[in-house]
Amino acid sequence: MNDKSDQISPFLVFFLIVKIQVGVGVLGFQRIIIQSAGHDAWMAVIISGVVFSLGIWGMYKLLNRHDMDLIGIQKRLFGKWLGGLLNIIWILYWLMVGISVLRSYLEIVQSWVFPQINTWLVTSIFALLIYYVVLGGFRVVAGFCFLGISIPSYLILTFYFPLEFTHFRNLLPIWDHSLKDMALASKQMSYSYLGVSTLMMYYPLVKHRNSSQKWAQLGNLTSVFLYLCLTILTIGYYSEGQISRYIWATLSFWGIVQMPFVERFEYIGIATWVLVLVPSVCLYMWVSARGISQYFKMKQKTIYALLLILLVVMTNLIKGRGMINQFVDYISNLGLILEIPYVLFLVCLSTVMSNKKEDKK
Amino acid sequence: MKRYSFFKKQENHKSTDFTDVLEHLQKSKDFTSFTLNFENEIYCVSFFDTLIDKDIMHRDLLPYLHTNSSTLEELVHNLPIEGLVFTKNPAELQSQLLMGYIAITLNKSDQAVLVKAANNTSRQVTLPEVEFSVVGPKEALVESLDTNLYLIRKRLPIAELAVEEIIVGKLSKTRVAVLHIEGIANKENVETVIQRISDLRVNQIIDSSYISQMIEDNKNSPFPQFIDTERPDRLAAVLGEGKVVILVDGAPHGLLGPSTFFEYFAAFEDYFLNWTIASFFRLIRFFAVLFSILMTPIYVAVLTYHYELIPKDLVSTLVISRSGIPFPPILEALILELAIELLREAGARLPTKVGQTIGIVGGIVIGTASVEAGLTSNVLLILVALSALGSFTTPVYQMGNTIRLIRFPLLLMAYFLGLLGIAISFCFLLVHLLRITSLGRPFLEPLYPPRIYDMRDALIRLPFFLQAKRPIEVQTEDTVRLEPKEDSKE
Repeated sequence: MNDKSDQISPFLVFFLIVKIQVGVGVLGFQRIIIQSAGHDAWMAVIISGVVFSLGIWGMYKLLNRHDMDLIGIQKRLFGKWLGGLLNIIWILYWLMVGISVLRSYLEIVQSWVFPQINTWLVTSIFALLIYYVVLGGFRVVAGFCFLGISIPSYLILTFYFPLEFTHFRNLLPIWDHSLKDMALASKQMSYSYLGVSTLMMYYPLVKHRNSSQKWAQLGNLTSVFLYLCLTILTIGYYSEGQISRYIWATLSFWGIVQMPFVERFEYIGIATWVLVLVPSVCLYMWVSARGISQYFKMKQKTIYALLLILLVVMTNLIKGRGMINQFVDYISNLGLILEIPYVLFLVCLSTVMSNKKEDKK
Repeated sequence: MKRYSFFKKQENHKSTDFTDVLEHLQKSKDFTSFTLNFENEIYCVSFFDTLIDKDIMHRDLLPYLHTNSSTLEELVHNLPIEGLVFTKNPAELQSQLLMGYIAITLNKSDQAVLVKAANNTSRQVTLPEVEFSVVGPKEALVESLDTNLYLIRKRLPIAELAVEEIIVGKLSKTRVAVLHIEGIANKENVETVIQRISDLRVNQIIDSSYISQMIEDNKNSPFPQFIDTERPDRLAAVLGEGKVVILVDGAPHGLLGPSTFFEYFAAFEDYFLNWTIASFFRLIRFFAVLFSILMTPIYVAVLTYHYELIPKDLVSTLVISRSGIPFPPILEALILELAIELLREAGARLPTKVGQTIGIVGGIVIGTASVEAGLTSNVLLILVALSALGSFTTPVYQMGNTIRLIRFPLLLMAYFLGLLGIAISFCFLLVHLLRITSLGRPFLEPLYPPRIYDMRDALIRLPFFLQAKRPIEVQTEDTVRLEPKEDSKE
């Protein structure tokens, strides 16, 4: 599976990181953090971004020492049984994030474009598309992630339209909230940055992987920058009372876009978002399948088929705003524990263990 | 297996001798064999009179045979013809006779001499018709492989230009030539091509397109993976880039690979024009293709689901043009798209002069009539006509066909899921392009894998001095194309 043709250039890590961080969350992250930290929310964006930089640093520390993926590392550190259990948790986590991303997107589609859409049909089509991507191997998944950033990047231009009506004075006074509020907002912001842990699975497929950390960090910084711009724009454009009523603040920006041939740009934006979201679901599916394939001697095709059937079924079973929210919350909380504190714990553990080994020698 | 009996019989002949071969060939009406009696020897001269050039035989062969010589070597010693082959193998004798050689056998000897006298009647080198260009050379390949090789070699008079010849096809025995420049072309590419061609087990190769379909990486993809060109200048140019060229005897088109998606939108004329103009034309072409793929589906999607997307003023125009039309947008669009396809197909199957009439009848009469009858809207007619025009802007014919085909799935998806459907099918298209390869090289390069250097000759074409290196895609052995100028001070 590690054949050379499947390896990717180190700078593509940049796109993979940005891709996995900027997903459905971008469309509506503002409301939650602004509710907690008000017009200081932009600081929370930076704080949690820095935390994730630290997380990526930890991941590289761990990966460079062992030069294998997370599944292998946990097996080595915790042995067959405990390691296996932890691996299952991770694989389930990635799988569930993939499902939650697709589910959240479908919810947007349902509430903005097609209220009566047949979710079974649409998820099946999405599953076919994802199946077609992942069967192409990691090269195609990474390529799709790359195109999934470069093609929809034209959407950034559309934020010029609300810029006209933005009052940057809304940002003042700076630091108007308590530390507790900031901490809460930072924690809530972290949900939007989740997903970098996939790095620990595709790491062995990166050429010159030891030196690819700069690209990963740059990717994280780019995401921070993007989120920061959007947050500042949101604070300047909406009033605090208004924002609490907009679940998808970014989508609402597009309401103001006016062109001679397009009236409601949201529709185009939402359609383009397919290109943003499918690659990340593909990456999650690829990562989980890669984890599973190290435990079960099954054909890749069968694993993907099973995963995607699960994806279709789960996406259709989770219904309604409340249930989706709850599901996403559970997953994000799990992710928050796994991706930062747990990874740092692993770094400490592996340092201690390798020191012990050296002592024995 | 009755089918193979013919071949088995043929193989049996290997064990026999010359007389059997000649007798076997006697069954054909156009096979001639006569004996010449000299003082002590009997020579037998045999040939297919339809295959050979009789001038050569009467001028250069027969007058010289009236000498007294006891061996074949002596006999042919003073023949003024090149391409003499001595053989003892009856099978070779037979195959060469069928290639237009004249065989001379001596009664008692087990050797035969083969004299090349093939009748090389072929078309004159004419103007390129598919890839016509206003400026630049105006020679096109013809059906004769030797002429085509001459046209290329004339442009690359270097020893490094290597031509490998492979005979393919059990029935057609087609000569297939694989060309590359040693020291530039990647050996892996060349070997892949040669390997794939020699592995072919087929009866007939009629045209180069047979070869390209059989040796493609992804045979089920609607996208062509070898560029098909009739311009020898283009072939010579890509040989210099380090690519591999395939020429097939009997085919007035050469193939070149590995190719990328973007090359199919590069007319060779782009290189004859100033880079600013060439880049502009290329961008126009890409825009035309995108328009051609997306416009009708967007019309269907918007009018079926997303009326709100259109501004107030535009909506009234659309409503007026659609008022009184009994069909839903998808049916309307399908009717018009199919009409255009019909026109194209009818025009392609008919002789040129009739074809023009068909164009006028179809374009003007049917188009206007269907609008006046209230079957389709004006706006859609404009869009469909424009997107048909857009699909004809691709310089490589095969790509134009592909573009026309992929419109239809998009149209249906637009009908089912609106803009979302278009986005999903566009994703399918992208992933498909990501997955396919040409000779093992990624097809979507330089977009993915992203290679900034190769972007200089993809969407746009930068001036020659900025393209000092050969494209990375080809993985050439010698990457430098433009040698740096020597220091002018010296």
